[in-house]
Amino acid sequence: MDKELLERISKRDEALERLKTWIIRQVRLRRDPDEIDPDTPLFGSGLGLDSVDAVELVIGLETEFGVRFPSEEPARAAMRTVNSLLDYVLEMKEGSDG
Amino acid sequence: MADAREIGALRYSVAIAEEPHVCCVRVSGPDAFDVADHLSPAELFVVDGQMRHTLLLHDDGRPLADVLFCCDDEDFVLLAEGPTTPELMAYIRDHLPEDARDVELEDLEETHAMVSLHGPYAWELMAELEGPEVIGVPYLTFFHSDAWTCFRAGKTGEYGYHLLVPSASLEEVRSRIEAAGRAFGLGHAGLEALDQCALENWFFNIRREGQANATPIELQLQWRVSYRKDYVGSEALKTRRREGPRARLTTLVGEAPMAVGDRVMLDGRPIGSVVNAGYSLIRRDWIGLALIDLPWAQPGIERYHVEQGTVRVPVRTVAPPVIRNRSLYVDPREHTYALRHEQTYPPLVEGVPEPWDEAGESRGHNADLHPETGREKEDTEPVTGVRSDQGGRA
Repeated sequence: MDKELLERISKRDEALERLKTWIIRQVRLRRDPDEIDPDTPLFGSGLGLDSVDAVELVIGLETEFGVRFPSEEPARAAMRTVNSLLDYVLEMKEGSDG
Repeated sequence: MADAREIGALRYSVAIAEEPHVCCVRVSGPDAFDVADHLSPAELFVVDGQMRHTLLLHDDGRPLADVLFCCDDEDFVLLAEGPTTPELMAYIRDHLPEDARDVELEDLEETHAMVSLHGPYAWELMAELEGPEVIGVPYLTFFHSDAWTCFRAGKTGEYGYHLLVPSASLEEVRSRIEAAGRAFGLGHAGLEALDQCALENWFFNIRREGQANATPIELQLQWRVSYRKDYVGSEALKTRRREGPRARLTTLVGEAPMAVGDRVMLDGRPIGSVVNAGYSLIRRDWIGLALIDLPWAQPGIERYHVEQGTVRVPVRTVAPPVIRNRSLYVDPREHTYALRHEQTYPPLVEGVPEPWDEAGESRGHNADLHPETGREKEDTEPVTGVRSDQGGRA
């Protein structure tokens, strides 16, 4: 099959596992990583996080992944699901690496 | 195709919807909690006035219903989509735990009807009807008042309130809502528009992807289940988890129609099938949900096609939700519908014009939009038939 596509998928899977494990630790979830689906909502329903958790995540993202939100608007857009947060982290890291 | 006026009200102001598709059953009696706990795949850590969003499962782990368990003092009220009320009551009776059978079931639809309000300004209309304290009612909680029981929930990505109203006063309540709603751009919304909003916002739809012969694991609904308790379908789910899923529900976007049953292809090889699809008037493209084989079920890939016969549509996988709801940015402490044009909000979709909003109220109700596609009239080409072997827009 397509080696390049498989490599890309594998890299994202690795980053996803790292992010899920970090979220579990950061907000003290009683879940195993494989119980958290990539498109699980973070707030309201889904993982059921609250505004305190949001602050924990925003602060922790900078420490753990070197990623920060310049303002509230991109944070709201990014912190909807695990995957949307991962998209933001990867995009920011790509920007800083490139 | 959802109606443009209905989508406009849901996404920019507030819409009222009838909800005959929602079953409402009260479980009461000494064993009510034990029965609810046995049926609920999620932990029922709820107190009076709180709701838990979960599922009802078949024994093989497939979902039967999309359900809210509402803890009402010693009782549980189940708001369920999927089965009919007789089917839901039969399911409950057939799955009573051995040691907890002292319950009564009441079909609340015999005496009540459900209407709902959804939209970025639904909270403001509710405050007008119920009083300002309603603004502070948390998501997934409910309260009783003289006029109704109000459940704070929704599947559109906007502020949402489900009102369980005594049938005898339904017309009076509807008239009150419509009269008060004029100040907030109230429109009507049907099931098709609600389903389209659910699709855009990654809310599970039991009538669509819920029919795809998949469990919560493939459907990305594990947040609604627990592996630390026993319930109907739990053994099947634990087995599936041990084996590992072979596919995962994934969101696609494309510029030409896709439909349930279409195959998802990679380099000429089938890797999945579409289980829900619809045209997004807001995004101005097509959205699909597909069960895609692992490892291909991942966002950010532009290599796939959706295939129906000889027609191929290029699609891109994305991380949902696929719009930035206005409700994310409308703050009841600062904003009002009346002054909405004085506020600057992020676009619902980056780079896509918003004809409803930017043009103001006169076009807020579809004056210059094509009745089927929702596009501006001068911009409309028939959506059907635009597919080509290249899959591009005609």
